[in-house]
Amino acid sequence: MIRFEKVVKTYPGQTRAALEQVSVDIEKGEFVFLVGQSGSGKSTFLRLILREYRPTSGKVHVAGKEINRLASWKVPRLRRQIGTVFQDFRLLQNKTVAENVGFALQVIGKSRSQINRLVPETLELVGLEGKADRLPDELSGGEQQRVAIARAFVNRPMILIADEPTGNLDPTSSIGIMKLLDRINRTGTTVLMATHDASIVDQMRKRVIELEDGRVVRDESRGIYGNQN
Amino acid sequence: MQLRHVFSELRQGLRRNLSMHVAVVLTLFVSLTLVGLGILLNSQAQKTEEYFGSQLQATIYLCNGQRGEVGCVGPVSDAEKQAVIKAIEGNKYVKDWYEESQQVAYDRSKELMGDNFRISSPEAMHSSIWVTMKDPRDYERVVSSVQTLPGVHSVFTAKDILDPIYSTIDAFKYGSLGIGAFLILAALLLVANTIRLAAFARRREIGIMRLVGASSLYISLPFLLEALVTAIIGVALASGALGAFMWFGIHEKLRESLVFMPWVDFPDYLQAVAWLAVIGPLLTVLPTLVLTRKYLKV
Repeated sequence: MIRFEKVVKTYPGQTRAALEQVSVDIEKGEFVFLVGQSGSGKSTFLRLILREYRPTSGKVHVAGKEINRLASWKVPRLRRQIGTVFQDFRLLQNKTVAENVGFALQVIGKSRSQINRLVPETLELVGLEGKADRLPDELSGGEQQRVAIARAFVNRPMILIADEPTGNLDPTSSIGIMKLLDRINRTGTTVLMATHDASIVDQMRKRVIELEDGRVVRDESRGIYGNQN
Repeated sequence: MQLRHVFSELRQGLRRNLSMHVAVVLTLFVSLTLVGLGILLNSQAQKTEEYFGSQLQATIYLCNGQRGEVGCVGPVSDAEKQAVIKAIEGNKYVKDWYEESQQVAYDRSKELMGDNFRISSPEAMHSSIWVTMKDPRDYERVVSSVQTLPGVHSVFTAKDILDPIYSTIDAFKYGSLGIGAFLILAALLLVANTIRLAAFARRREIGIMRLVGASSLYISLPFLLEALVTAIIGVALASGALGAFMWFGIHEKLRESLVFMPWVDFPDYLQAVAWLAVIGPLLTVLPTLVLTRKYLKV
C-alpha cells in the first residue's frame, strides 16, 4: 500500500537530508506506528505520502501509484484515497459537526444524497451520534478529534494518516481515540500513526518504525515505543 | 462539482472582504471610464480627420496689386499665373484644381457675409486657385511647390485651423489613456492584495480542501468568480458613466452647439463598452488565475 525505496529528501537550502535512504514497505490493512524524536523525519515521511513534496531521490509508491511521477493535477485524486488527522484537529469552527464531516465530501463533488447518507453513518461509527448539530467548541478535545477522524474517514479512504492524534488529549480520551483507529483499521484501512505517546504504542503492540536523523533505525512487527534491546 | 458550495463561498467571500472589493470596483470603475473615454476620443479624432480631411483644399491667393501687399510687386501677370498653374499641374500630389476670379470671390464673400460685407469693389479681392490633393496629408508638398513663386500672395489650408483641434483631442485622448493606465496598475495591485487577504482569511478551509482532495479548480473557483463579479460591476459602472458622458456631454451639448462637426455616436459608444467588457474581466481574472496558482497550490 505504501512503499519507500531508498528515499532521500533534502529540503532546498539544507545540507542535511531530512530522510536518508529510507526503504519501507507497508501492506494493505496494516497498523503502523511511526516513532522518533522531533526532527527525526516523521513529518517529512508523512508529507511525502501525501505528495506535498517529491523525494530528492528514490521512489515513493502510494496506493499503487509512483508519486514522483504523478502529475500535479492527479494529486487531488490520490489524496481522496488518504484520510489525514492532526494533533490540532483542524476543524472549521463556524461549521457544525455534521457540516465539518460533510465538507470533505462536498468539496470533492459528492451529491447531497451521498452526504446525507455517509455523514450520519460515519458519526455513528466514531461515537458522535446525537452531536451532529454541535459546534466544535461545544465539544471536548476527544470529541473534536473524533470529528476530525470522521472527516478523514467519511470518504472511506484506503489509508489513514494520523500525525500525533493524541498529542492534545488526556489519557482516557487517548484510549478512546486509539480504539477508534483500531476499529477503522479492522475495516481494512491501512493506518499510519506518528506519535510520541509511549504508553499507547506499548499497549497496542503493533508494527513500529523508528526514525532517527532521517534513517530507519528499527522496524518491528509487534514493537514497543523504546528499543527492546 | 457542487455549485451550491461554490456560490455560498462566493457570497461569503464578497461579504468578508467587502471593503477591499469596493476599493477594487471603484478603481476599476474610474480606470475603465478613462480608458473608455480614450477610446471614444480616438474615434472622435478619426471621425474629425476623415470628415475635414476629405474636404481639405489648399487655396493659393494671387497678388492683386493693392498697396502694402507683403511679398507682391504689383498684380499677378499672366505669365506668373501660368507658371503657378504649370507647377500645380506638374505636381503628382494634386488631384484637381480650379480658378476663382476676383469677381467670383467678391460675389461669394458678399453672399456669405451679407450686411457685414464692407469691400467696395472686386479689385480689392484676390483671385485664387483652389487645389484638391489626392491625399490631404500631402498638402505641405503642394504648398511648398508654389509658395515662393512670383505672383503668389499667400497659401491657405484648413489645416491651419484644424491642427489645434486635433492636438487638443490628442491631448485629452493620451491624457485619459495615461491616467487610465496608472489606475489600471493600481487596480491590479488591489486585486493582488484582495486575493492575498482572501487566501489568508480562508487558509483553514483551503488547507482542509487540499487535504481531502479538492481539485485546484474547485478551490480557486470562488476566487475567480469574485474577480469576475467585481469586474462586471466595474464595467457596468464605467459603461454607465460613458453613457452619461455621451448623452449629457455629446448629445445634449456639443452636438447642439457645434453642429458642423461629426460627433461620436451610439455605435462608437458600443465599441468602447465592448472593449471595456473585455479589458475589465481580463484585469481581474488574469491576476487571480496567476495568484491563486501561487497561493492555493495543491
